Amino acid sequence: MAAVAALTPALRCSLGRRHGALSAPAGRCGRRPFPADGASLRPCSTRAALNGINKAVVDRIIRVDHAGEFGANRIYAGQMAVLGRSAAGPLIQQMWNQEKEHLKKFNELMIAYRVRPTVLLPFWNVAGFVLGAGSSLLGKKGAMACTVAVEESISDHYNNQIRTLMEEDPEKYKELMQIIKQCRDDELEHHDIGLEHDAERAPAYSVLKTVIQLGCKAAIYLSERI
Amino acid sequence: MAAAAAGSLRRAGWRLWRGRAGLRCQLYAPQQGLHASAALRRASEEQRKDPPPSPSTQQQYDPQQTDPHPEQEAWNPQSSYTGQGGQQSEDYESEEQLQHRILTAALEFVPEHGWTAEAIAEGAKTLGLSAAAAGMFHSDGSELILHFVSQCNSKLSDLLEEEQKQVQLGEAEKKPTDQFLRDAVEARLRMVIPYIEKWPQAVSILLLPHNIPSSLNLLTSMIDDIWHHAGDQSTDINWYTRRAVLTGIYNTTELVMMQDTSPDFEDTWRFLENRVADAMNMSSAAQQVQSTGKALAQGLMGAAVTITNLTGLNQRR
Repeated sequence: MAAVAALTPALRCSLGRRHGALSAPAGRCGRRPFPADGASLRPCSTRAALNGINKAVVDRIIRVDHAGEFGANRIYAGQMAVLGRSAAGPLIQQMWNQEKEHLKKFNELMIAYRVRPTVLLPFWNVAGFVLGAGSSLLGKKGAMACTVAVEESISDHYNNQIRTLMEEDPEKYKELMQIIKQCRDDELEHHDIGLEHDAERAPAYSVLKTVIQLGCKAAIYLSERI
Repeated sequence: MAAAAAGSLRRAGWRLWRGRAGLRCQLYAPQQGLHASAALRRASEEQRKDPPPSPSTQQQYDPQQTDPHPEQEAWNPQSSYTGQGGQQSEDYESEEQLQHRILTAALEFVPEHGWTAEAIAEGAKTLGLSAAAAGMFHSDGSELILHFVSQCNSKLSDLLEEEQKQVQLGEAEKKPTDQFLRDAVEARLRMVIPYIEKWPQAVSILLLPHNIPSSLNLLTSMIDDIWHHAGDQSTDINWYTRRAVLTGIYNTTELVMMQDTSPDFEDTWRFLENRVADAMNMSSAAQQVQSTGKALAQGLMGAAVTITNLTGLNQRR
């Protein structure tokens, strides 16, 4: 059901429709005769955000970012569960708090743009916690290595999204790009903190990093679509 | 008067075109459709020889064409290679608009002919087109049904928007969730009442494999619309469970309505009320189970700590 709803925007695009024009299915708050800018999205009372945007692209972006921040939250929760009372505790707690802020922001965006959350959220819930806790069992360096791997993946991903939005229309998506840029900067900061705290000296660092980044890529691919 | 008639025709055409959004993927054999419609347009333009209406219609279509110009451009090139020529693109009504008009006109013949090509042919005839216009559409009447469903969904959306506006302006009270859901589903189902005799046929056609993607799409967007206006702001798995529950309620109520013989479908609305109440109970029961579980876990932890303290197991000797 959700997959079909996600497919239809692609189908519509393939029929040569201008993006944004009729990318919302009929019946959704989003249709009105004479849209000024060719978009079919209705200026609902609080839906000024929905006018004239490429719903399919923004949908994906917000859905995957929301899933990502949710997963990051769970990873830090897992790390805290194991290392909470150790010396690295306060550091991890601080990074966790920043992720909580990100998640809150994406929750708001999700509601504002009426985006469907990914159906895999319960899975990311468990997987994130297990990853965080598992990497922390290798010690503080393991936790830092996990942080470095994940944050590198995520910053690349955010950069791709910023590029996509720039290509679409920098003006229209200014606010969204701003938020993504800020999150990307925070994630890069976490990445650097991880490196500072001996992530590279973790056992089997390169293997760990590769495996985690592959997992992140798969998670991103799936969350965008499902 | 001609201007008013043309104006209302234009509005109707645009509205239908909008509602057509959900049917984009349903244009079977668009090529043959375009040929057929091109032939019809030539025929209809010859018929519409009356000077007063046509220039004013054409003039009024002009400004309209420039508005959603990007979308028109996507279509006009395609229609032009059926031989109409690009010169006429300005006063040319698009393929979609024409189909909308025909399908809307066809709806009044549905109670008599059912959801079939005959109804579409009759509808085309009332617009002064030849009955061959029905050839533009699939022979099983799917487009007519999808068009109708999409129209109902837009009407429902408008209704919910209106209500939301009134609540925001303070002119109306905000309804509790179960009341809101009941009213929304009832309003939507009431739109089917004029066609209730032939509705089972429509439902079965919508379940045909080639129609399932679009009918599912229309259904999910309608349910999402209702929840959105009910104030749902969930961003987790609740998003899915709420919509699934409401879809279940809607579908079962629709089925009940189809074989309800009570005056003004009272039994159906009572059934709907009970189902919505069940759903509310279920969700509050789920919440209670969760909080009981948490309290229980805490209680057990407390008991375990007490016991270790009492038996001295927590002391290191």
